[in-house]
Amino acid sequence: MKRNAAGTSRRIWTLRVAFVIAALAAWEALAASGLLFRDVVPSLGAIGNALARVLGSPDFYANLAVTAQEIGVAMIIGGVAGLATGILLGANRFLSQAFEALLLYLGPTPKIIFFPVMIMWFGVGPGSKIAMGAVSCFFPIAISTAAGMRQIEPVLIRVGRSFRASPSQMVRCIYLPAMREPIVTGLRLGLGVAIIGTLLAETKLSNRGLGYLVIQAYALFDMPRMYALLILLFVLSIGVNALIGRLSRAP
Amino acid sequence: MTSATRMASRNRARAVGAASIVAVVALVEVLIGAGVINAFVVPRPTQILLAIPRIVVEEHVLHRFSQTAQEVLWASLLIAVVGIALGMLLFRFRPLRLAFETWVGALAAAPIVLMYPLFLVIFGRSTTTIVMIGFAAGLAPVILKTVEGLAGTRKVLIDVGRSFKLSSAQQFRKVLLPAALPAVFVGLRLGLIFAMINIVGVEFLINFGGLGQLINELAERYDLPGTYGAILFVILASILFFDLTERIERWLRPVE
Amino acid sequence: MALGAPSLGPPPSALLDVRNITKRFATGDGEIVAVDDVSFSVAPGEFVSIIGPSGCGKSTLFNIIGGLTGDYAGSVTVEGATISGTHPAIGMVFQEESTFPWRTVEDNVAFPLEIAGVAKAKRMERAAHFIALVGLQGFERRYPSELSGGMRQRVAIARTLASEPRILLMDEPFAALDEQTRLLLGDKVLQIHHALQQTTLLITHNLTEAVQLSDRVLVMTYRPGRLKRAVAIDLPHPRDSEVVSSAPFGQFVAEIWQDLREEASRGIEDAESRVRQQGTR
Repeated sequence: MKRNAAGTSRRIWTLRVAFVIAALAAWEALAASGLLFRDVVPSLGAIGNALARVLGSPDFYANLAVTAQEIGVAMIIGGVAGLATGILLGANRFLSQAFEALLLYLGPTPKIIFFPVMIMWFGVGPGSKIAMGAVSCFFPIAISTAAGMRQIEPVLIRVGRSFRASPSQMVRCIYLPAMREPIVTGLRLGLGVAIIGTLLAETKLSNRGLGYLVIQAYALFDMPRMYALLILLFVLSIGVNALIGRLSRAP
Repeated sequence: MTSATRMASRNRARAVGAASIVAVVALVEVLIGAGVINAFVVPRPTQILLAIPRIVVEEHVLHRFSQTAQEVLWASLLIAVVGIALGMLLFRFRPLRLAFETWVGALAAAPIVLMYPLFLVIFGRSTTTIVMIGFAAGLAPVILKTVEGLAGTRKVLIDVGRSFKLSSAQQFRKVLLPAALPAVFVGLRLGLIFAMINIVGVEFLINFGGLGQLINELAERYDLPGTYGAILFVILASILFFDLTERIERWLRPVE
Repeated sequence: MALGAPSLGPPPSALLDVRNITKRFATGDGEIVAVDDVSFSVAPGEFVSIIGPSGCGKSTLFNIIGGLTGDYAGSVTVEGATISGTHPAIGMVFQEESTFPWRTVEDNVAFPLEIAGVAKAKRMERAAHFIALVGLQGFERRYPSELSGGMRQRVAIARTLASEPRILLMDEPFAALDEQTRLLLGDKVLQIHHALQQTTLLITHNLTEAVQLSDRVLVMTYRPGRLKRAVAIDLPHPRDSEVVSSAPFGQFVAEIWQDLREEASRGIEDAESRVRQQGTR
């Protein structure tokens, strides 16, 4: 069995490495062939250079900080609002039947279309981007939390009531700890859509942030730079998501 | 409680929910009229409602709707064909699955739509770009759910097939595939919804296409009631889409 | 053998007095009366059990006395003062797994003190005291998932005791445990009862348990739940699980079983007829 496991592990890594190498080789071939317009598929070397330049420029980190802050604030606003809404709806059957359908139906809609309204309400600065991110992440967090509330063992709630815990004690000592898993799931989903919402807003109307850098590279037709930025963006998103997953598993 | 009283109380709750929305809208109307809310930032709800028939006629909303719908349709076809095929492939070859399933999972969580400037460069400002983004955004869930469905077939059903000496092709067609269908339909629905959301979003961002572009145009023209009205229209359309796909999924799903 | 006749009112020495409790529920088959005009009282330091078949309304009674269920006729009085809703004088131990899985044993036991705003050092000290009382010293830092079912119930009991209630109200706390663990935990509960002179009201369906632990056993009828009989158990104290094999014990069990059996069969017949009805719909 042990030999088998090691063999399988090796096979997996061989496949992955082979896949990556094949993809990179195909890319390089496509770049060199000139089949597509020259810069649409830049050579790996060009992309590599662009990556190095981006990572070496303080300008990148400044914009990264702006985006990170916007997303952070958006998560806080959307997260708190989402948790509160989820707890209220989950705790009260009447409220849930009256309003939860609203969440479920509004959730899977393209939030970016609200952006013109956000601009009108919050201006062209970071406010509208934060609003975009907050609106995006509110829904998955609220929906997960409401569902999570209903999955709490009813006896635990009765214990809290039998000791006359105040509502804030019920939330702090019983609801939140009991819902750790669904809340974390909701937060991961929320972070994913907050990132998307904020960055798309930046690409549409901004002069700072990672989204702005991407659209700027597009406007200047600096393709290697655009690829570099997109790669970094993806690595960061996937990385943060994986980090949350890792952290949430440690007790 | 009897099921009748339970349904009655649920309907009462729903009525209260709907009534409160109407109440809030009415309140906004009053506050704008009184000047508490700036009418240049939030147009009066009545004006928004009036704008809807106007934009339906003037902006050829039906035409735009069909444009968006076509894009979603194409993306859905691609997602279904490629997604299910790749899913079957991953399931069929276990090492492939072990190697790449987590990667597909990461893809599902990745902000693919952020690559739209790239797609713009590659495919130009065209319907193809939009369809491609919809495809890319909705693909991962279909692959994952297909694999999950096939892998999740109850072992006893597989044993039944083996006891009847089915070949592996027959096994696949007659046991695994039907058993996987519920999960596959769930995945297709998810993929469709992701595709729709991203398609409308990108239409808005690149100012091309159907409904998404309409919102962008109206916003750039500073037609506030029109913009709000168009947003409302898109929300209604997406709610209908969400509901419709749910009904179809439930109808198609074979009784367990 | 006083059940506490309605017209006479509560005996002056009663700590807990339950008077004319009636509770109705609306269901699919019309209105049912879960508890019908139940009255009894518990003197300080007494151990009273309420026994009845499943469906006799004992859990409803438990929730009413504990204050988690409202909207009933009648009154619940503690030391002369009528109470409504949960009250610090009454501590509840539930039938299901009720320890908080995310808290250690000592954090679980300290919970009521935390709610009451007691400072950390003080409440940990009190918690340690009650943990030792139920025999779990050494397990303070463990999580409930690391303990057996019986140990978890002991944590739940310690937690309720930590709130120092005048009356300990328990709803079939040992229902999920095997017979041997039950008997031993019963011993433990009795020891605690003696040590603290804790007034206890135990709801159970287990006859042996009721006779082993109680000073008085009240028998409830099947729906609608009424008090059928009260039996004073005058077995000597201190008792332990050894008493189970004594002759007087057997007599008490037999006596109560006569009443209980009738009610239990009514319960079974009723359940069967309901299933038959559902089949024909």
